[in-house]
Amino acid sequence: MYAPFELEMPGDLAGALDALAAGRDSKTVPIAGGTNLIVDMRAKRERPDRVVALGEVGELRGMDFGAERISIGGRTTVTDLLRSPEVAEAAPSLIESARLFAGLMVRNTATVAGNIACGSPAADLVPPLLSLDADVTLASAAGTRTVPLDEYFLGYKRDVRRPDELITRISWPRLPVPSVNTFYKLARRKGDAITVTGVALTLCAAGGTCTKARIALGAVAPIVLRARQAEALLEGRALTPALIDRAAAAAAAASSPIDDVRASAGYRLHTVEVLTRRLVSRAWDRFDRQGDQGTAASAAVPAHEVTAQRRAGSDGRSA
Amino acid sequence: MTGITSEAPSRPNVRFRQVGRPLTRTDAPGKVAGRTPYAGDYVMPDMLHMRVVRADVASARLVRLDVSRARALQGVACALTAADLPDRAVSTDIPGQVGRKRLDTGQQILVRERVRYFGEPLALIAAETRDVADHALELVEAELEPIPGVYDPVEAMQPGAPIVTEPDNIVAERRIRKGDVEAGFAEADVIVENTFRTPFQEHAFLEPEVGLAWVDENDVVNIRVSTQVIEHFRPIADAIGVPHNKVRIRGALVGGGFGGKEDLTVEIYLALLARRTGRPVRLEYTREDSFVGHGKRHPFVLTYRTGVTRDGRITALDVRMVADSGAYVFLSPYVLLYALVAAPGPYRVDNLDVFARAVATNNMFTSAFRGFGALQACAAYEQQMDEVAKAIGLDRMELRRRNFLKTGEPMSTGFVPPSAIWTDRCAERAWAALGEPTPARGPIRIGRGIGCYQQSYGRLTFLHDTSEAWVGVEMDGTVVVRSGVTDIGAGQVSALGQIAVEALGTTLDNVVVYNSDSAVTPLAGTTTATRALYMTGNAVKQAAEAVRARLVERAARAFGVAPDDVDMGFNEVFVAERPDRSMPLVELVRICGAEGIHRSELAMFRAPFTDFLDPETGQGQAHPDYAYGAHAVEVAVDVDTGEVEVLKSVAAHDVGQCINPAAVEGQIQGGAQNGQGYALSEEMLYEEGRLITPSFSEYLMPTAMDMPKVECIILESRSGVGPYGAKGIGEPAMTPVAPAIANAVADAIGVRVFEMPITPERIVRALKRRDGTGRLDSPA
Repeated sequence: MYAPFELEMPGDLAGALDALAAGRDSKTVPIAGGTNLIVDMRAKRERPDRVVALGEVGELRGMDFGAERISIGGRTTVTDLLRSPEVAEAAPSLIESARLFAGLMVRNTATVAGNIACGSPAADLVPPLLSLDADVTLASAAGTRTVPLDEYFLGYKRDVRRPDELITRISWPRLPVPSVNTFYKLARRKGDAITVTGVALTLCAAGGTCTKARIALGAVAPIVLRARQAEALLEGRALTPALIDRAAAAAAAASSPIDDVRASAGYRLHTVEVLTRRLVSRAWDRFDRQGDQGTAASAAVPAHEVTAQRRAGSDGRSA
Repeated sequence: MTGITSEAPSRPNVRFRQVGRPLTRTDAPGKVAGRTPYAGDYVMPDMLHMRVVRADVASARLVRLDVSRARALQGVACALTAADLPDRAVSTDIPGQVGRKRLDTGQQILVRERVRYFGEPLALIAAETRDVADHALELVEAELEPIPGVYDPVEAMQPGAPIVTEPDNIVAERRIRKGDVEAGFAEADVIVENTFRTPFQEHAFLEPEVGLAWVDENDVVNIRVSTQVIEHFRPIADAIGVPHNKVRIRGALVGGGFGGKEDLTVEIYLALLARRTGRPVRLEYTREDSFVGHGKRHPFVLTYRTGVTRDGRITALDVRMVADSGAYVFLSPYVLLYALVAAPGPYRVDNLDVFARAVATNNMFTSAFRGFGALQACAAYEQQMDEVAKAIGLDRMELRRRNFLKTGEPMSTGFVPPSAIWTDRCAERAWAALGEPTPARGPIRIGRGIGCYQQSYGRLTFLHDTSEAWVGVEMDGTVVVRSGVTDIGAGQVSALGQIAVEALGTTLDNVVVYNSDSAVTPLAGTTTATRALYMTGNAVKQAAEAVRARLVERAARAFGVAPDDVDMGFNEVFVAERPDRSMPLVELVRICGAEGIHRSELAMFRAPFTDFLDPETGQGQAHPDYAYGAHAVEVAVDVDTGEVEVLKSVAAHDVGQCINPAAVEGQIQGGAQNGQGYALSEEMLYEEGRLITPSFSEYLMPTAMDMPKVECIILESRSGVGPYGAKGIGEPAMTPVAPAIANAVADAIGVRVFEMPITPERIVRALKRRDGTGRLDSPA
């Protein structure tokens, strides 16, 4: 089933980094949840010589909720995210994504760092994290560096991580008040599906003006990317339907999708525009209704219920 | 949620003690506890592991096949190619009891010269371990010279098209001509014509194809295999060149069939290598193997032309069907016949012309799948009914009411189904159960649809179908049933047990059913065609009632009453009007044993035997009987993104008589899911015949998150030809679901998508086309 490989199971981070450093001359890969790697090895798309298993590396677990920033270990699983009320408050979009992430068994083992490091444009945790201005901490035996997630991806399945580096932590700043942070996954079915078009949005407002916009697009380009021109159109302005239309068109223009088995490029462009318009309009309406009072996340109801209601609004069911 | 309605039964209820109750199925405890062995759980000492080497193109000439490196690999026991085999084809015909070969349906066992479809087997490997077999697979060198192929059945009929099957790619052609179609169209106020397309579908059973074979001390090839059909021992024996009594199929509980294990799968490969190596061999398909290893549902192109009067009377119907048979014939002629017979649906159409063709292509071969052609016809005729209603401005339900075939009326082939036709009651109940409409909101539109159907149960009557069962009572009053029937997960075996204990006055925990062994259990025929309950249920009932008659006769003598006055139930035998006069069943059995009264019976049930339909007019009897019912749904459609959510799903079926209502509901729930995937999300995409969606990450069946609660309304006309008036539910449960969803989507958005699956993208394209808001252009 698998080509033969050596398996190393270091007990701590230093051991893991040493194992990766030692393997620089051979094809050495780290494995966390393995939900991509095992599939690729089984299909013989990946044939590593050595596999460094991170299951025993405790330093990669744990979440830290500071006053300014949230920081989570790279081996945080998708299920860990869903079980954390603090993440639900600090990153509603991430929870919305996690809830629709693959199936339960995969959620129990797939990790945040693994989802980033796989480099897939359809990686569902990445648009939310991009919309949150997340940073990625990379460690190797030689040292540690932090790069903005926004600068992490170089191209299709290419990134700045060296083979001897691990993603140890992911962190992002707390959302300002008021703000809306949301994600919509468009797929061919509701459960356990690869994304056709994913849009994550952070929108902040003050005094009737949009103070900050982050629009991150999944599965519509070689990498998950931000729609910078669309963001720029919104920031510093009071949003009008015409302006939102222009931003939605700009988001589509930023996309460079392909035809694949899930959808055509044309459908993806159409839905980037539709979803961007929809998410921005709804977020702006929230500010209008709330008179700039409070964030979606800090409203009286728990964040996951807020997101549930938002989903209800988008698909027609009553919450 | 189940509502069982026995309204106006066509004859009085029997007093049931076991039948009709939602008893825990006999197969349930073992499955729930994980104790039940499936075919893949069997291993033997010294067993070899097999893999199949497959072609990676769909149409090619095999220039060179070199297995020498694979053979040389340490641990490889055998590598077999066509060069090592006699030039013999495998019959892929229906294994019928009449023994007449109807059409040249042979398939080469391994590619000799010509590759006709993607994944066609080139060589077989057997090795000491699975890993070695996997490795050896990569060492086989095949030089394949591409040959132009044809991948569309309509193109395959054009002059000059590449020929897959001589002489003209048309592997079957069927026709119904009834009444005067021209006069019917002349009488019509409106003529509505539409073309509908239905897709490939994968069975996607949980358990991929798997088996274990060994040669025993009598030189018999034993094959433990996951199959719907143990009667395949005959074509296996023919293919490997041994007498029929030298092949024995031992089934196991099957992890899903749906028609995909109706044809041979791994059996011949196993038999060949078990004989060649003299060792037990095991072959388990990977999921990728399974996607290319068994025939799919036939895609159809169906053109319906309906003549109708302003007041909604159908005056004429002309139907043209083209089915994609893929690279080999398999069951295409029969699937086509089902579609032909089902063409007008559960409606009275006196002026009818149906012309159906199955055409060979270099696509994956197509064969049996739940619904078997009749489902594809339903997908078209029910959408057409909605389009006809729209064209004349009549309510969709009213149009149906005015045209439903009624009990005692002749169907498409002129045959009058012997049972009640309750389409009307089922349709009204399902429609009403949708309740209050969900309000539309923003871009979310709400729509409703219904699908009504006619689906046969029991095999084609010209196949002269029979089924045998043996029933015996042990000395302690427990019951043994022996019957070759395969249990593919629908509770077939448990239902037979329920019937036997009903007749023999005991309870379901007192019966053991031995099944699925072609050598030692009486042959019961296939578990296909919604026939297991009808055929084998009747055989078990006959056998059990014969034993009962002898027991009752002896008890009557003991009680000094007439046999008609004796009843049995819950392990007691008693005088019906005087329950105080009784004896334990075990005592009666001991008396019978002591006196040599025969406590067992082997019975054969015979379906009606008929000739083939008239070849010119298609008139005659095709099946023993038909089931009728309806499925209704409510959907929400996002008109901006094209996403569809099924909000409500209601099934109403006349099952004749429930044997086990819980099992019936299980079939209905599964059918609703199977049909919803077919309508909305399941898609097998091919590029030049190469499957590009060979995994469950691309082939998308509805998950629990996609399914609404399915409401099951079970009606019992007690009019069927099965045991106690039962009909069948295996296939009917799925047949009307997809058109109901298609009709609901069209109702929601005001425009129809004529091709399934109805994907979000197809919805958006249809809306843009209608609204003239441009197309979905790909970037330059």
